[in-house]
Amino acid sequence: MDALLEAALRLAGPLLLAALGELLIERTGVINIGLEGVMLCGAFGAFACAVATGSPAIGVVTGGVAGCALGAVFALFAVVRRADQIVVGTAINLLALGLTGVASRTLYGGAVPTAPAIGTVALPGLAAIPTVGPALFVQPPYVYAALALALAIGLFFRRTRPGLRWRAVGESARAADAEGVAVTRVRVVAVLVGTFLGGVAGSALPLSQSNVFTEGMTAGRGFIALAIVIFGRWSPLGVTLAALFFGAAHALQFWLQARGFDLPYPLFLMFPYAVTLAVLGFSTGRARAPEDLGRAYRREAA
Amino acid sequence: MTAPQRAARLLERAPWVATIGAPVAAIGIVALGLALLGQRPGPALAAMLRGSFGDADAVVTTLLKASPLLLTGTAVALSFRCGVWNIGAEGQLVTGAVLATAMATRIAPDAPAFVLLPLCVAAGAAGGAALAALAGLLRVKRGVSEVIATLLLNFVALQALALAVHGPLQETSAAYPQSDALPAAALLPAAGRLHLGVALAGAMAVATAWLLFRTPAGFRLRAVGLSPVAARFAGLSPEREVMHALVLAGALAGIAGAFEVMGVTRRLFEGLASGAGYTAIAVALLARLHPLAVLPAALFFGALEAGAGAMQRNAGVPSVVTQVVQGLVILLSLGFGAGEVRLLAGRARSRPLAGEPAAREP
Amino acid sequence: MNVLAGLVRPDAGRLALAGREIDLASWSPSAALAAGIGMVHQHSTLVSAMTVPENLSFGAAALDGGLAFDPGAARARVAALAERYGLELQLDARVRDLSVGQRQRAEILRALERGARVLVLDEPTAALTAEETRALFPALRRLRDAGCGVIFISHKLGEIEDLADRVAVIRRGRIEAVAEVGALDARALGRLMLGRDLPPALPRAPAPRREADAAPVLALRGVCAPGLREASALRSLELELSAGEIVGVAGIDGNGQRELEEVLAGVRPASAGRVEVGGSSVVPSVRALAAHGVAQLSGERERGGLVSGMSVGENLVVKRSFDDPRFFRPGFLDLRALRAHAEDVIARFGIQPPDPDADIATLSGGNAQKVALARELGSGARVLVAFNPTRGLDVLVTRFVHEQLLALRAGGGAVLLVSTELDEVLDLSDRVLALVEGRLVPVPEGADRARLGAILLGRAEAA
Repeated sequence: MDALLEAALRLAGPLLLAALGELLIERTGVINIGLEGVMLCGAFGAFACAVATGSPAIGVVTGGVAGCALGAVFALFAVVRRADQIVVGTAINLLALGLTGVASRTLYGGAVPTAPAIGTVALPGLAAIPTVGPALFVQPPYVYAALALALAIGLFFRRTRPGLRWRAVGESARAADAEGVAVTRVRVVAVLVGTFLGGVAGSALPLSQSNVFTEGMTAGRGFIALAIVIFGRWSPLGVTLAALFFGAAHALQFWLQARGFDLPYPLFLMFPYAVTLAVLGFSTGRARAPEDLGRAYRREAA
Repeated sequence: MTAPQRAARLLERAPWVATIGAPVAAIGIVALGLALLGQRPGPALAAMLRGSFGDADAVVTTLLKASPLLLTGTAVALSFRCGVWNIGAEGQLVTGAVLATAMATRIAPDAPAFVLLPLCVAAGAAGGAALAALAGLLRVKRGVSEVIATLLLNFVALQALALAVHGPLQETSAAYPQSDALPAAALLPAAGRLHLGVALAGAMAVATAWLLFRTPAGFRLRAVGLSPVAARFAGLSPEREVMHALVLAGALAGIAGAFEVMGVTRRLFEGLASGAGYTAIAVALLARLHPLAVLPAALFFGALEAGAGAMQRNAGVPSVVTQVVQGLVILLSLGFGAGEVRLLAGRARSRPLAGEPAAREP
Repeated sequence: MNVLAGLVRPDAGRLALAGREIDLASWSPSAALAAGIGMVHQHSTLVSAMTVPENLSFGAAALDGGLAFDPGAARARVAALAERYGLELQLDARVRDLSVGQRQRAEILRALERGARVLVLDEPTAALTAEETRALFPALRRLRDAGCGVIFISHKLGEIEDLADRVAVIRRGRIEAVAEVGALDARALGRLMLGRDLPPALPRAPAPRREADAAPVLALRGVCAPGLREASALRSLELELSAGEIVGVAGIDGNGQRELEEVLAGVRPASAGRVEVGGSSVVPSVRALAAHGVAQLSGERERGGLVSGMSVGENLVVKRSFDDPRFFRPGFLDLRALRAHAEDVIARFGIQPPDPDADIATLSGGNAQKVALARELGSGARVLVAFNPTRGLDVLVTRFVHEQLLALRAGGGAVLLVSTELDEVLDLSDRVLALVEGRLVPVPEGADRARLGAILLGRAEAA
């Protein structure tokens, strides 16, 4: 049971990190369905750099920067030039898949090296608690970082003025503009920060969960993170719970398999998506999506 | 007049410049990138060209790769024209393939060809249409953004495929996660590798163009895509047209899946979904959402995929480079000002992306 | 107003504030805020998902308060401010849950909080209840006494008499007069606002004779419909329109005009009551109304059913895209017939450019309106429901539209003309009603502009 708990949290960490990045972006009214590609770029950047330098820490930062670079392309087209966000996001995904594939094959050919791994960190004191201690408090740093970030983002939106402005831009770009908030600048910054987090989340795949890079290794995690943001109703707390839920679903799959339950695993993989759809379809009451989500802002059209 | 203004005017007058320009520029950028990576782009391009058009066999490969893109590209163009952001062609294709296989290997394996062929195609169409209709119902009845719904359904469909080849549709010997080979009666008539589906796909693109621009149904669909509010005041029902567009698009993508198992792979397995549903978006945008222009656009991307294999073998350039080209073509099409897309993005998506119960428009 | 707020940069002219010239080349919302101009827009620019203290804390002017946002302190500050000016409002609810009056007080507070020296209120009472309006005025007077300049934009004469010190009359983008309020009486003011007493510009044929007992061609019987706002819900409308007459419905936007348009266009279901065409009850849908010969004309392209992105030819038939066998046969759209029809219409109505394939979005407002007219009247409709049919059109096209309405009347047809242009309503109509706060109010025969204006402005007793 504690193994299940441990795995749930471990798998939820990167998902949460990516979802929080997307949350930041969506709260300013931009939807980036290129998150999958951003994570993939982050995964590759982190892997290549960690292999080259031998330092996983440098790898993580590079992963973030790689995600951010792709985010810059997204921001240029979807925010600055106001092209359709969905279409640009799709292009970003294709670009990332192609770029990382070309780069990894060019760099490593058939022989992909192993990256230095990021180990777990035991939180002093807490890890000594019997049974749950080792499960909850001996985790890769991603988990702690993601949880801390969720708290920080919550505070950012509730307790800082820039946080209020970001929310205002996402809820009503027109109102924010009338108040002298630079809508485009806020959105570009949000995309850059959010995709940095997406890139860092991606770095967990080759540096923490496995030690190699494989093409397309994100395997839909970026889309799950998108679903988590919706499922979590655009709040940091909700997103955290949703990420834990999805992590648990993932962990349960491995756990049941290890125990020899002969359940078809695709059912488990399908589960998160189906649940998200069901929740979207059956949730009543006011949806709490930022009102201007997905809308380009033009002053004269206001 | 500044240079950018002049360029913008040129593009306005001669949209084909953008249509040709986007792929040319994309390939140019990729060649430059390859050169920077220390590859020699010249031989790579030559190898790609040989691999896609070099001999009869290469041309057949190109046509086979273009065929599903033709159908999914048409599907995407059709839904975008109605203001429906259907990015679920991938899932619709997969569902079509699964149902066509189920029909051929489980439901009516002993039927004669003249019965089984249409049955399998119909099953594929129904599968794709059903998946798309689900997304449509979520949007029309529950106000769920079709972007999110179609995206998530892609993954549901992919896992359904995995489930099928591990379970009910797995081959009788149960050796691999794949279906039995389709009975001969379910295989599309073919000349060598070239199956009838390629021609049918082209015919369906032409038929869709006819539908969009020469029939009342297409007329209504376009009106809703251009201006849902005006369409409602003119007596059309945006909800109904959205459902029509999604069902038709889903059926086209589903047929693409059916043709793949019936003409190319001849059995169902997990790797069947090769991204044709996502490439379709690049195809549709390059074709400026016109089904007739989807023909050359699909051919271009088909050639790219066919040539990529040869390029990898003969010039050592990874074949995944095609996806870079696809991504760049989308971005450049937007950058070159794909008028229709901008028009639709500005007008049709007058609703927020997620949430908001399906409020009637005015 | 948008110029003052910085949302629109003026083409020409100068702006001075407290004697200082302002550089208009870099005029922007934040520059306006910094200069001390506080706007209270007619349509709220508050972020509806946030509370009032939050709304008051994110703007450019609020950033001096440091990066941290302390909800408790912000709430206390806003509460103190509200107290000082006597502006009561709920501080913990999201703006979307506040009443219109509360939102407006929140906007005023916002302007005050950042030290606005000039407060511009755009039709502040349009959406307020009577009590809310009564509560607003003392607050504005306190502001004036505190040294604040207040620009109060209103249609309502009584309010201006009650509140203002000086008045400027703006008509069609021009300042017509500036005067002390005491120097002008309501009548003089009304005349300035509503325009000169022009003689009817159009020759009017006497109303064609009609049979006394014929059923009205269009009737509303107790029609109710939910509104976009509380004040604009339709309340039990009764109306009869007979052949050979033009009935005018005058009113100010936001009193149910859009809702009435939508009900009669067939896109907003009535919650109660019946719509009758030619004496028999019709379920008002776009198709049913069109099939019964009820035509529509709107001052807004989209609401007139003109689809931008489609050609003139396509727009001429879009409303009949289900049943007109001349153009639509099962599975076949007759493009040749469509083109021929378009060319014919273009020639008859003198539409520019004379190109059936031109995108309707590229046509001028007048030419687009001609396309709509041609479509709606082309199929022999006997009843026309026209909403602000000349909004934004130049004099010549306006006259053309008016001639078409009169021609329809002369030919025994009927027109329901719902317009915010009083001149238009008075010039064309045989009978006039007023739509005020969702109710139809009869206007006595022979009422002049001042009298009609008073009714619309809710001041019937003053005139």
